[in-house]
Formats: sequence, structure tokens, C-alpha cells
Amino acid sequence: MTVAVTEGRLDATFTALADPTRRAIVARLARGDATVNELAAPFAMSLPGISKHLKVLERCGLISRTRQAQFRPCHLEAGLLDEAVSWIEQNRRIWADRFDRLDQHLRDIQQPPESKGRAR
Amino acid sequence: MSDQTPAAGELIYTRVFTAPRELVFRCLTEPEHLTHFWGPAGTSTPLDGIKVDPRPGGVFETVMVNDADGSRYTMRARYTEIVTPERIAWTDRDSGMTTTSTLTDLGGGRTEVQIHQAGVPGAMLLPEAQAGFRTSLDRFAAYLGTLSAEGDQA
Repeated sequence: MTVAVTEGRLDATFTALADPTRRAIVARLARGDATVNELAAPFAMSLPGISKHLKVLERCGLISRTRQAQFRPCHLEAGLLDEAVSWIEQNRRIWADRFDRLDQHLRDIQQPPESKGRAR
Repeated sequence: MSDQTPAAGELIYTRVFTAPRELVFRCLTEPEHLTHFWGPAGTSTPLDGIKVDPRPGGVFETVMVNDADGSRYTMRARYTEIVTPERIAWTDRDSGMTTTSTLTDLGGGRTEVQIHQAGVPGAMLLPEAQAGFRTSLDRFAAYLGTLSAEGDQA
């Protein structure tokens, strides 16, 4: 299982996403690349303020920026998000499976003796 | 416990079993029972790999063996709370994640088990996980959009 291996990286991802402004930026970038100006537009925040958030997202690898002089559009690195989401999904599935099997086990051990004989 | 809405960084899973609470509690704390169901589908949890010392500070270890390729995954934890027959809590040694199982007697031989996990890596694991959230970015974006709309952008 790869859960432990990816945990350190996930930690950084989740921490970066704990901030509502950064989540809004990620949500915007999920619809397509955007420049800093475009990203800043919906917020009552200075460009340097937005840039600070972008740096956090860039550092953990959630977004990347191309080197196109003045535009430098931001791009969402979807792979990392997928990793975070699949960690959640994997964890959920483990408990769902475990509950299914516990349910079956409880049925087995509570079966009256005569029907147990029949099942075998 | 009153909360059904997990805080950030927490996950909650709930299931109702048709069995008395004492029996469900024993299933969750005795190796002879755990070996039958602990490993998720596609894995098994051999009896000789299960260590259970059900008291605060006691060890809780399981080895899950992948049925397909024989690879093994060891979970190492320590119990932090044991209240027979209603509560079991342990902290995972590697991740620091704490899992609390609360057993509620619903009457009529039915028992609700609620798994509450706190200290999930990072701070953003929210209720969508329980709803069978998929990896679609669009949906994730929509969800993030909802979050941002709710949160104040101070």
C-alpha cells in the first residue's frame, strides 16, 4: 500500500488547501489557466497578496507557472489533487469493506447451530 | 457524541450492525474475531500477526496481506482509550492519526458503530469523502467553489 509513502506530500497539499483564498484559486484554475491579474480580480486583495498565496501553492507543487514574460499564466497540477482525493477515497473504501466483512462475520457467528450445518 | 459533521481534517464513517453491542465490541478488540474482517477486500489479516492489548498505552498491531501478490502492510498503533463496551480509540504510530470507534446500543439487538478519525494528514478532509467522492476535478472544483463561497475572504 502506498498510503505511507505519499503522506508527507499530501500533508503539504492539504495544508495549502486549508486556506479559503487558495481553495478559490485552485477552483478557478480547475477551469483553465489564468494570469495573476485574472486570479486577483474576484478578491479584494493586492497583487502581492495573491502572489504570496500562489507561491505557497507553487511550493507544494499544486500549481506551476510558465515562463512567458509578463503573462506567466498559472496552471493547476491536477495529479497532486488526484492523489489527495484518492487517499480519501482509499481510506473510505477500507472502512466500507471492513464494515461489510464485519457484518458478514457477525451473521456467521450468530447463526443458529442447525442452519450452520446446512450452510457447510 | 453529538456531531455528525466532521471538522476539517476529520473523517466519520457510520454503520449499523444487527448484533448486540457487547458482541460488536468483542469483534473489534479480539484477534480471533479481527482476523475474519479487519483486512479490506482483497487482503487477509492472519491471526498470528494481530497484537491486541486493550488498555490505554497498549499495542494494537495488524498485518494485512495482499491476497494477489502477498505483499504485507503493518499497522502499528497504541490504544488511547478503552471503555467496554462503548468506546475504543487508538493512535497510529506512523501517521499520528487517531481513530475512535463509538458503539451505540440502538435496542432490538442492533448496534451503531461510528468511526471518527482525527489528525488525518493535513487539514482538508471533509464530508465529501464519505459521499463516495470521485477523482473528477470538475466536481472537486465545484466543491471548492462552494467552500469559498461560504468562507469569508478576510
